Amino acid sequence: MITNHSNRVLGVLIALLSLLYLAAAYRIPTFPIPRPIDSDAFPKMLGFVMLALSVWLFFERPHVDASDPQRTFGEQLRRWLPVVVTAGAIALYAGTLQWLGFVPGSFLLVAGLTWFYGYRRHVVNGIVALAVPLVLYLVMTRLMTIHLPRGLLPF
Amino acid sequence: MEAFESLMYGFGVALQPANIMYVFLGVLAGTIIGMLPGLGPISALALMIPITYAMNPASGLILMAGVYYGAIFGGSTSSILLNAPGVAGTVATSFDGFPLAKQGKAGKALALAAWASFVGGTISVIGLMLVAPALASVAVSFGPAEYFALMLLGLTAVVSLSERSLVKGLIAAVFGIMVSIVGIDRQTGTQRYTFDSLHLLQGIDFLVVALGVFALAEVFVMLLAGRDAKTHEKQSLGSLRLSKDEVKEIAAPVGRSSVQGFFIGVLPGAGATIASFLAYITEKRIARDGNTFGKGNIKGVAAPEAANNAACGGSFVPLLTLGVPGSGSTAVLLGALLVMGVTPGPMMLEQRPDVFWGVIASMYLGNIFLLILNLPLIPYIARILEVPRPMLLALIIMFCMIGVYGIKFTAFDLYMLLGFGLVGLLMRLNGFPLAPMILALILGDLMEENLRRALQISGGDWMTFIEKPISASLIVIAIASLIAPPVIRYIRRLRQPGVKVHG
Repeated sequence: MITNHSNRVLGVLIALLSLLYLAAAYRIPTFPIPRPIDSDAFPKMLGFVMLALSVWLFFERPHVDASDPQRTFGEQLRRWLPVVVTAGAIALYAGTLQWLGFVPGSFLLVAGLTWFYGYRRHVVNGIVALAVPLVLYLVMTRLMTIHLPRGLLPF
Repeated sequence: MEAFESLMYGFGVALQPANIMYVFLGVLAGTIIGMLPGLGPISALALMIPITYAMNPASGLILMAGVYYGAIFGGSTSSILLNAPGVAGTVATSFDGFPLAKQGKAGKALALAAWASFVGGTISVIGLMLVAPALASVAVSFGPAEYFALMLLGLTAVVSLSERSLVKGLIAAVFGIMVSIVGIDRQTGTQRYTFDSLHLLQGIDFLVVALGVFALAEVFVMLLAGRDAKTHEKQSLGSLRLSKDEVKEIAAPVGRSSVQGFFIGVLPGAGATIASFLAYITEKRIARDGNTFGKGNIKGVAAPEAANNAACGGSFVPLLTLGVPGSGSTAVLLGALLVMGVTPGPMMLEQRPDVFWGVIASMYLGNIFLLILNLPLIPYIARILEVPRPMLLALIIMFCMIGVYGIKFTAFDLYMLLGFGLVGLLMRLNGFPLAPMILALILGDLMEENLRRALQISGGDWMTFIEKPISASLIVIAIASLIAPPVIRYIRRLRQPGVKVHG
């Protein structure tokens, strides 16, 4: 992943983000009563330090990992697919948790991802994906009185 | 004798039935999570925090401490059986542990690790008991300037020891501080970086970040590694017994490594990993059979194991007495304590002796539990390594989600978790160390608070940090800790003849 020019790219990106951060820091309102150091001072310091560090990073030679194989675009895509799908599944879970409920939502998440990652014993998968969230749900809602969304479940 | 009486009081707390159960659950959970390759003590602690919400602080910290040293203890199991250390602190254990396992002596290696860990852990608890109150009495005189300097030192030490690239460590630390100050400024009530979102008014919960950049990012890394990753092969463990000669052989290395490990653990930045490597190198150098290290020498397993567990105990010294964590793991512990309404520091010894001495006493108990768990039961516990990897990854993701959802019960936090998971993945792929970030996240707003208080007292005079001797020396050490390693490297390169020096 680390290539010869990756520090340059990262340096520029971090510099841009620090500038945005600084811009926001200058918009922090001042406190009516004067004090030696107001709410905006520390963020401004951080912004400038980060900007300086990004310049430093830009000029630093990266430690390129020679063992890291070069991959074609297709290979990269295949390699990243599980991460993209997992991220999508998490976002979907977050979006539907309230409506679907903790147990059904978690069942779909665990069973679906386990299957997607290549596990093919569907009965075992189904039992685990149902039992673990159900036990957690009962322990948390009944014993620890922590609220978890019920959703489609009748109890 | 005062320490003895206090310890007895601590046992009074630790031996309450509920707390005995928490110690046991803590070390069991820690052993299991620590054993899973990839999931280290920070992930273990972060995953357990939601459970402590409803507990009283003493019980909560007893549980969390158990998870912490349990994870270090458990990490050795996967180092020995799989050559895939569950925890960075047990990497050195695999150098000789795995060769022993290949020779059919996995049981012996596990037993060695268990006994050495037990001795290391116990010696460090004794050290903690003796050193902590003394340090706390010094720290009582610390003002905001000293605290600021101390936190700065903690951060720079972690940055300088973490990875090869100093600038990446510093960027990680500054990023952590930036995240920590999001929300309402506690001193003025001004909103900072909330983007008018109600969800951000209270700031970003550190658990969201910790679970994201550690546990979830770890899952992503494992997914990227794909199917090339090692799978567990069933093998016989062999006998768990140690002979008298073997015990004699490891006694001195274990003793030395325990004491050395404890003191390394006390230092900010240097934790279990450095302690275990140093112990391994030291023993290899002074052993007569040093050339057999790396090929299955029993001292090569015992020394790092004693050291990493001792360092784990040692790292509690700055946490409990100064309220300043010296590592990523203790930073998460501090975060958990703050959530429970306890501020560790010199006053804790007087205000919450139940927490302070209860935790110390519980560690004696925890070490005994760990020995029991890791000796007769280890063949059964090791079967957790046979859980199919796809299922394990999916379950870890679900545990992260529950942990985060349980904080404020909003889906917003789950999206943030995902965001920080991706940030953690990018940081890891680009060689940014994570420990400075998580430490900075915990220390960030405390640092700002102390900086502002110190300047308030001095009337805005920045010289206050240099005029006070303790804060001045801490700042000098902090700067030196950053400058020294590259300077030493540069001088070494200069001394090597024929090597061209690049900046």
